[in-house]
Amino acid sequence: MSEAVLKAENMSKTYMMGKREIQALSDLNLQVNKGEFVAIMGPSGSGKTTLLNVLGCLDKPTGGRVILDEVDIAKLPEKELYKIRRNKIGFIFQTFNLLPYLNARENVELPMECLKTSKSERRQKARELLKLVGLSGREEHRPQRLSAGEQQRVAIARALANDPAIILADEPTGNLDTQNKYEIVRLLANLNIDRGTTVVMVTHDSQVASHSERVLLLKDGKITKEKKGLHLAKKRLMCPYCGSKVQPDDERCPSCRRRLGNPEENKS
Amino acid sequence: MRALLVIIALGFSMAIMVSIPAGIVANQEAAQAMTANFNSTLTTMQEEINKTATLIECQTFGQGMFPGGSPGFPPGGPQRQQTYVEESVANEIRSISGVKDVVEFLTVSSSETTSETINGPGGRTFTISRPVYTITGVTLNSSFIDDYSILPTNITAGRNLRQGDSGVVLLNSNLTAYFGVGVGDKVEMYGESLTVVGVYDEAGQERFEARSAYMNITDAQTAAGLTGNVSRLDVYVENVSDVDSIAEVISVAYTSLQVTTYKDRLSQLDNMQTRYNETLTSAQATVSQTGTIATQEIMIAVVATSLIVLFVMLYTVRERTKEIGTLKAIGFSNWNVMSQFMLEGMLLSLVAGVVGIAIGTVGAPLLSGILLPQISPFGSRGNSEFQPGTANTGNFGNFGILGASTVTVTPSLQTMLIAIGAAVLLGALGSLYPAWRASRTRPAEAMRYE
Repeated sequence: MSEAVLKAENMSKTYMMGKREIQALSDLNLQVNKGEFVAIMGPSGSGKTTLLNVLGCLDKPTGGRVILDEVDIAKLPEKELYKIRRNKIGFIFQTFNLLPYLNARENVELPMECLKTSKSERRQKARELLKLVGLSGREEHRPQRLSAGEQQRVAIARALANDPAIILADEPTGNLDTQNKYEIVRLLANLNIDRGTTVVMVTHDSQVASHSERVLLLKDGKITKEKKGLHLAKKRLMCPYCGSKVQPDDERCPSCRRRLGNPEENKS
Repeated sequence: MRALLVIIALGFSMAIMVSIPAGIVANQEAAQAMTANFNSTLTTMQEEINKTATLIECQTFGQGMFPGGSPGFPPGGPQRQQTYVEESVANEIRSISGVKDVVEFLTVSSSETTSETINGPGGRTFTISRPVYTITGVTLNSSFIDDYSILPTNITAGRNLRQGDSGVVLLNSNLTAYFGVGVGDKVEMYGESLTVVGVYDEAGQERFEARSAYMNITDAQTAAGLTGNVSRLDVYVENVSDVDSIAEVISVAYTSLQVTTYKDRLSQLDNMQTRYNETLTSAQATVSQTGTIATQEIMIAVVATSLIVLFVMLYTVRERTKEIGTLKAIGFSNWNVMSQFMLEGMLLSLVAGVVGIAIGTVGAPLLSGILLPQISPFGSRGNSEFQPGTANTGNFGNFGILGASTVTVTPSLQTMLIAIGAAVLLGALGSLYPAWRASRTRPAEAMRYE
């Protein structure tokens, strides 16, 4: 449980706003382990989105190191970053950012178009992913015919398309009503449990954040506090394979007898 | 909706590119047709004039003096006293030095008359009494027939008269209608039974409803009881320069003859030729001018098309900044984004190209009419055809040219294919910069863009 997927060391990011220099992130240290579900919380202007952009290779840090899947992305030239984004990162946005003229399936297929996967393979995978997020039968619908919650599900399926090492979600529930909000966060939590997907989620909603297993508090460009979320307990008390209750100390699931611990390790 | 407007705008631009070459081709064809037409007209005229320039027409009084005035028309109005001259006069004239040939004619109208109502000028009607038919006897000598216009030329049935014909007659269509006969039938004229060998139409026959016939002069003389008499002599001289002096001699020596020459027609031909040349020169100038104007217009259309694509694509890229950010966030490379937008620009212009060809094909005549100078022969007299008259009627007809309007402006398949190619190329050119801009968009900034 200690293998780091994402690691930021003494990372800083400054912006030039006109002639004024703005320190968005300063000397930030962060580690996300494989299979973790981490939430980052903070008031507006605390640098949440900047942090996520840097972690997601949409922007480059001005100082320090960012290691994603053993690659120092701070050292990569801008032209190489798209490969990292394509292969290692899945993005989920507050405003879903689906392409309005493509239907749900085509939106999910979009990241795979840059890879050398065949058309039928892409289609097959898109269907599977849409089924995973509970949108079977709605593959051919365009975004405007889907509800906000459904659109975010499509976006989640799209984020999973290239089997990324990590999912970065920027306020994924920010544009959703209460019911959809919990459905989406539960979907992310279940993906984390069922598939061992590493998720880093930025939110200002403490209720949503509490569904994660670790909540980082960001203030003035630094991580000031860390607390445990409900998810951890839930994760510990549930077998990732059969869903039956387990004790925190159990090495194996009492019903399916599979080894507990890091789900990724057990799968192989 | 916006795409539709853009496509229509681009389409018009394309249509200009399609219809201009078609217009050029049409103009060239028109100029060629005009040149050919002028040349054939001039040749015909030249032949006519060559035949008549050396002609001295000597008519007895009474003939051809009917309302309307043009010589040679069969009498239709109230008959005057017809006079004739002896055939010996012809021989005397033939002996004048410088005279080449003398062709004898005898034109006689039947003594029987019909009473008819005809329409006169100004909507008035006249009731006139006129001969049932008028016959013209001609010396049927094959060299005369070949060299001079002595017989009707417009044979509509049967054949024309020829040397050695006797007992046969050539009727005009008014007369066949009157008799109710056709080729091969027999008709009785002046008590003689004659076989119809052919039917002809002549200029003005409808207006005057003239009923006339041609036959061998001896047949005519026998039938009319005027053996040895002629009513007209066509005197042909060797040299045009002798026409005036010989005409003078004839008119002094034979007061019973009215002498007319056609030498002045030569200057008429010169005038005509000058006018034609001017028109041709201006047509050629138009064609070459067309080339220059077309080049300019095509350049403008090309620039306009590229600019339209450029601005539309710039606008599109700006409008879709967030989408570009998303695409980059999910792993699109700069090249992926660039090719995406290039493709879109090219597709847009491809569709516009097809629309443009549709507009161009339908509107090519109109568009090229607006955009290119047109060739117009002699202003408004575009459609009257040149009708060569026969020498003895002296009718030159109307000189005119089939207008350029008969040449159709149609873009060729080649033009269309080139236009499609050009459309895609211009689409690529126009979207190059916008697509590059799109590809350079920084995703973090693009995501903030609303």
